[in-house]
Amino acid sequence: MRRHAVRSGNTSQQYLSWIAKVQVNQPAVLRRAGQIQARRTVKKEWEVAWLLKAVTFIDLTTLSGDDTFSNVQRLCYKAKYPIREDLLKALDMHDKGITTAAVCVYPARVCDAVKALKAAGCNIPVASVATGFPAGQTHLQPRLEEIRLAVEDGATEIDVVINRTLVLTGQWKALYDEIRQFRKACGEAHLKTILATGELGSLTNIYKASMIAMMAGSDFIKTSTGKEAVNATFPVAIVMLRAIRDFFWKTGNKIGFKPAGGIRSAKDALVWLSLIKEELGDEWLKPELFRIGASTLLLDIEKQIFHHGTGRHATYHELPMS
Amino acid sequence: MAETRAGPQVREIFNTMEYGPVPESDACALAWLDTQNRQLGHYVDGKWLKPGQRKTVPCLDPITGDSLAVCFEAQAEDVVAAVEAAQTAFTDWSSQAGAQRAQHLTRLAKAIQKHQKLLWTLESLATGRAVREVRDRDMPLAQQLLCYHAGQAYAQEKALAGWEPVGVVGLILPPTFTFLEMMRRIAPALAVGCTVVALVPPACPTPLLLAQLAGELGAFPGILNVVSGPAPLRSALASHPAVQKVAFYGAVEEGRALRRTCTGTELSLALGAESLLLLTETADLDSAVEGVVDAAWSDRSPGGVRLLIQESVWDEAVRRLQARMTRLRVGRGLDGAVDMGTRGAAAIAQAESYVHQAQKQDPPSPLSHPSSVPRYGCFVKGRFQAPGGQNFRPIQDLSGTLHGYVAEGTAKDVQDAVEAAHQAAPSWASQSPEARAALLWALAAALEHRESVLTSCLERQGKGPKAAQEEVKQSLERLREWRTPQALGRTLQATGLRGPVLQLQEPLGVLAIVCPDEWPLLAFVTLLATALTYGNSLVMVPSEDYPLPALEVCQEVSDLFPAGLVNVLTGSHDHVTRCLALHQDAQALWYFGSAQGSQFVEWASAGHLKSVWVNRGAPRAWDQETQGAGPEFRLRASRTKILWLPMGD
Repeated sequence: MRRHAVRSGNTSQQYLSWIAKVQVNQPAVLRRAGQIQARRTVKKEWEVAWLLKAVTFIDLTTLSGDDTFSNVQRLCYKAKYPIREDLLKALDMHDKGITTAAVCVYPARVCDAVKALKAAGCNIPVASVATGFPAGQTHLQPRLEEIRLAVEDGATEIDVVINRTLVLTGQWKALYDEIRQFRKACGEAHLKTILATGELGSLTNIYKASMIAMMAGSDFIKTSTGKEAVNATFPVAIVMLRAIRDFFWKTGNKIGFKPAGGIRSAKDALVWLSLIKEELGDEWLKPELFRIGASTLLLDIEKQIFHHGTGRHATYHELPMS
Repeated sequence: MAETRAGPQVREIFNTMEYGPVPESDACALAWLDTQNRQLGHYVDGKWLKPGQRKTVPCLDPITGDSLAVCFEAQAEDVVAAVEAAQTAFTDWSSQAGAQRAQHLTRLAKAIQKHQKLLWTLESLATGRAVREVRDRDMPLAQQLLCYHAGQAYAQEKALAGWEPVGVVGLILPPTFTFLEMMRRIAPALAVGCTVVALVPPACPTPLLLAQLAGELGAFPGILNVVSGPAPLRSALASHPAVQKVAFYGAVEEGRALRRTCTGTELSLALGAESLLLLTETADLDSAVEGVVDAAWSDRSPGGVRLLIQESVWDEAVRRLQARMTRLRVGRGLDGAVDMGTRGAAAIAQAESYVHQAQKQDPPSPLSHPSSVPRYGCFVKGRFQAPGGQNFRPIQDLSGTLHGYVAEGTAKDVQDAVEAAHQAAPSWASQSPEARAALLWALAAALEHRESVLTSCLERQGKGPKAAQEEVKQSLERLREWRTPQALGRTLQATGLRGPVLQLQEPLGVLAIVCPDEWPLLAFVTLLATALTYGNSLVMVPSEDYPLPALEVCQEVSDLFPAGLVNVLTGSHDHVTRCLALHQDAQALWYFGSAQGSQFVEWASAGHLKSVWVNRGAPRAWDQETQGAGPEFRLRASRTKILWLPMGD
């Protein structure tokens, strides 16, 4: 169910005052980002349980020019059965209904995904990127139209990209107004706002853009498209997570977080989980509030679980591809 | 397979998403303890010393309470044996070339690297500190530290020409200390050629292991000796005549007691270990809170942290701090994912007593100051005033001819002078070094006009005309040599901290200086110039026998310098020195006089531990560059402040 962020009461002027004095200390954030990777670790049963949990956070993604019906179908099947049944049975986890959180595709492939998932008999949501993904450098009108069409085709989550030009030139009010229009165009669909943090220039800008996106009614804020030169990094995540917590303290609304791009190893996934646990707490460790945008990550997690169960390392052909 | 395991199953963890244990093996530490038959003595002169008939203390795992080993408590004779070993080793070690010592220290760093797993495991096991702290911070930094000081030793003949190692250094460590704190004190002492006797509390195995590693290098076995014994042995070490310098690190009260018992030995104190953190409204609060957490709850320093938060961000900062504290993980030290080792019931009770004490405390009452009526005859607040006791003393030359009367300074004059100096201090300290140097330059120019007066003044004291002229000329040079700003020791360094590090020399505050009797003009001017250059404000006591040249200088000082910046008190050195040493609001005291007076100054300064510099009765050649100027003055006249300048966004 879509959360109604802060749609009533506050004016946009009041929101803008929240970000006026923000200053992020970059060296301190980099230091914290370095520490978080070294300070928490999980082993043995804990590692396996955490990795299975990570599977349930994945937005299994394919965003390529050569996507066709057949590889979207394969993706959907993998989303339904992310880990080999025998491996889950060995862990006594086969009845937990472990699937990925969603599948994520380009707007033109939404119909394929909806059809494939229906055929597989499951209700995993379909997420679609939109608004001129990945650069967002198209006119507002077609960007809004893209959202409406994707929703019509059956996407229940829309990953929009923001207009980086507005951030870099400091037009926060205009950015707020644009995201408000995205919000309206989504209707009942979830709005995930991609900040493309690799292109925003500074951590202070990232904090401000996060706040604006949440004020304008986003259900999730997401780090990157996966197409920028720099994608999901820990320093950026720390700044965004602190913005989410500040927004929760100010309004009582919990907004979700989605890192995407470059998260490929099971080990990375564990750090991301502990980062959420440390910065926001256990209540954010659920698919309604945390997602990982990834494609090859799932395979590495499955390999690690294979290793835990059998004591051997699997080759890729032993595990079904996505 | 899963059903045979104890502990929670994957299913359960999947729901709770708890952290699990990440145990590190303690096998290597236990194996090392086994090599000692689980009995730890002392490590002296490259050998284990396990004297019989000593009290034993169990070394316990602070978390489980398991017994790890038993330790023999040292007695005074064991300390003496260690000091003697260090004394013997000193002859050989100090006569080595710097390059030789550098090589030996590098070998010790290598030995630490080779055995680092044993070192961190043992340290974490015996102290309960989080293994991550010891492994990732103490061990690499200890090696870096040794390599750094090896570099210093290598360059020593050039950089510290004319300096001599003092001899045997006694290191006294408190019940809670870190491996790194210990290395910080051992490495520089060894580098310059001193040898070390460390007195550690009983049941601390890591220093013993370190000493063993150093001893097993073969050459120079006696340079590092470790004795474990109780606090009463401290004075036995500190007052041993062969111990030239004592380094103590620990609680304020213990430092005070030590200062009182070992006057006559040079003592360097690092007390309280309480750092002050200021959190202002311009800060990135979350990052600042991370900094506070790192400083206060990371098993790094045994000291506390005093945190001052600007009122406008109080609520925001405290809320963040509370939220962050709920995420701290406490557990067994040898667990790779805890932030702090578990603290015992005693520590908890102590913390609660502090909280209780703070809650009961009334707001501090304002300090009462005796009212001051400025009507004395000393040079205070920029003019000559009648002294508090209305007493004057005659000044005569060697033949008995009377040259004048000077004020007999009293406790009240001292109080006035210190107060005046405090008033002048802030604006003087905030002047740029160049501006301060320019004023000294102007003073030199003004004194040039008085050259004949000053010369005849010195001649009347019994100096030959040539020597008198030379002293005046040299005094003027001393005022001018601070013109070059690079002499002020400001440096900018690039480090790995993301941002340059600026090293500044900060003023000490109000500095009291008791000048020597000899060189009545030169010593006075040299000390005045050095202290003023570094931004201190002064209470000076010129030569007791012949203060007239200094008072001549005051005539010019009153025209040029802000009132109260330089105050000059005359009279009995012993009396004025006593008042200054006992004055708690003078930040530092330099004393050039008798050996007895030096001892008194050290003893009396223990009250608030002001920094002191005394000459122990040794005369100084003020007309020589090495003793009358040089880096020693710079180090004494200022404190070093390091500013890290983080940048980027």
